[in-house]
Amino acid sequence: MENVWTLHKGKAMKPAISTARMKCLVLACGNPLRSDDAVGLELARYAREWIRDWEAVAVVISATQWTPELAAEIASAESVIFLDCCTDNAPGKVALRVVEPCERVQPSTHHLHAAELLALSRDLYDALPLRAFLLTIGAASLAMHEGISDTVADALPIAKEKLKEVLKICLAR
Amino acid sequence: MSKVITIDPVTRLEGHGKITLKLDARGEVENAHFHVTQVRGFEKFSEGRPFYEMPALMARICGICPVSHLIASAKACESIMAVEIPHTAAQLRRMLNLAQMVQSHALSFFYLASPDLLLGMDADPSTRHLFGVAAAYPELGRAGIGLRRFGQHIIELLGEKRIHPGWVVPGGVTEPLTPAKRDEILAMLPEARAGVQLALKSYKEITYRFEQEIAHFASFPSLFMGLINDDETVEFTDGALRLIDANGNIVADGITAKKFTEVIGEAVEPYSYTKFAYYKPYGYPEGSYRVGPLARLNIAKSFGTPLADTELRQFKQVENGPVRGSFHYHYARLIEMLHGVEKIEHILNDPQILDKHVRATAGVNRLEGAGQAEAPRGTLMHNYKVDSNGKITWANLVIATGQNNNAMNQGVLQAARHFVHGEKLSDGILNRLEAVIRTFDPCLSCSTHAFGKMPLRIELINSDGECVDITQR
Repeated sequence: MENVWTLHKGKAMKPAISTARMKCLVLACGNPLRSDDAVGLELARYAREWIRDWEAVAVVISATQWTPELAAEIASAESVIFLDCCTDNAPGKVALRVVEPCERVQPSTHHLHAAELLALSRDLYDALPLRAFLLTIGAASLAMHEGISDTVADALPIAKEKLKEVLKICLAR
Repeated sequence: MSKVITIDPVTRLEGHGKITLKLDARGEVENAHFHVTQVRGFEKFSEGRPFYEMPALMARICGICPVSHLIASAKACESIMAVEIPHTAAQLRRMLNLAQMVQSHALSFFYLASPDLLLGMDADPSTRHLFGVAAAYPELGRAGIGLRRFGQHIIELLGEKRIHPGWVVPGGVTEPLTPAKRDEILAMLPEARAGVQLALKSYKEITYRFEQEIAHFASFPSLFMGLINDDETVEFTDGALRLIDANGNIVADGITAKKFTEVIGEAVEPYSYTKFAYYKPYGYPEGSYRVGPLARLNIAKSFGTPLADTELRQFKQVENGPVRGSFHYHYARLIEMLHGVEKIEHILNDPQILDKHVRATAGVNRLEGAGQAEAPRGTLMHNYKVDSNGKITWANLVIATGQNNNAMNQGVLQAARHFVHGEKLSDGILNRLEAVIRTFDPCLSCSTHAFGKMPLRIELINSDGECVDITQR
């Protein structure tokens, strides 16, 4: 099971607004017991490996659900990359899009969407990242099962390539 | 013609439940029930497991208050082992439990209740949520998020995980506290304290708007129960239980976990999977009682920390004697958060807090053990029986929500009789019935979550079983 707040472990909790904004925040969401729902966590592992070679400040957070507290982290980031699976797109389809804070929300206290988290960051902290992206892969199965489907596994290299591209943009000086 | 109104599910709760109201021919509320519709089975499937696995297994019951289950379970195991845990381990567990209390209370107050309190019970439901609060009261929203982060981060620092930490084990804890972690927690305290004080100030400023709700949200005489220390201060992790009546007289005192099942019984009603706890000498339902923040403040003389004690003195002026109005659970919750922040500082300044001896070891020395602790929403009791090899042969858990179950049902009935008249329900009335339940902050089944959108649907059904009205959101 992926630990949440992995890169925070043993470090001081970041203030809601830091004086020096973190360069890039990667927020992954997924449940490793629900098949393709875990694909965001898999992409987060890749991001974590990839950013090791960069000197810029970057944080990767993997969570089962995106909760309101993450708005504080978003408020302190220059760029945010959200990683998740989705059910709107065809199975295995990789989609990368810019996310804007939403105006109307249907919030749950247990789980928020990327656009809702941005809106919360804006409303509470009067802060938004300069850029925010959402990278998703269409899920083929969300059944109770460990391991992603072949369809999504086949799409992972494409998603990782897109993630690398967007990480380069976010980490560029 | 009688009618039944169903509210299913009740929103902004931990877990899933529904409310049904039975109306008489005049459209007045005849009866009301709060149904908990999930069934779990933890007590059954733990049979056959080694007793030392129980804390980690039982913590999975809940994603909000796993720490309380960890602690009550570990204490039940220590009763089986017949060991006393080291002082430092007891203090560290106390701090962990307080951190959980702060984050859970912050969730209850800021995320679930504050939309009603700050925006109004009749506010547009499309804005009556955390985002609405964030837009209208960003300072309070930040305080709420800050307090959640505060509690969660302490849990993570101590237990390595925010949810389901494995640090609490039978005999103590697995790792001592490091100076770096102690200093990090100490540095977080001022902001947390300021956040609670801001919320308390705001709460006091708005309560005048809720005269009707204060009078009709489960406001009635009842017994109250909670853990207390020998010096009559509030306790969350150790101590023994005290039960008082509606006038503040002590009914029973010094109830240890071992004695719990001798004095507390559990009744079953056909409309709910949650049991109904009661004080055996008074029988059911007369022996029903309330637990949680309101009960804890009612039974105690003080907190033993200065800021919370100042607030407690004001709280005790709310009514003449124990506070009966469940609306004030919110108030009590905020005062407990203030105490939590103060007490954590006190614990961190304990000269032995960095001691390395944090675990006692033993095998099976008794064939039955019980442990109790205060969860954020009330008293929690775990009782296990084992065979000579330490395998669980029987388990029983008495959770806070079961102990508040009768009060919640009576509270919904009281509020429904006051606010519901006739067949048509406005959203504001519907919200008030849900808000009665929210005051108790019940944890129906925190570790189960809805997948997808949660609908709220109300059906009006006549005595012939015909649906005469539906409201959905």
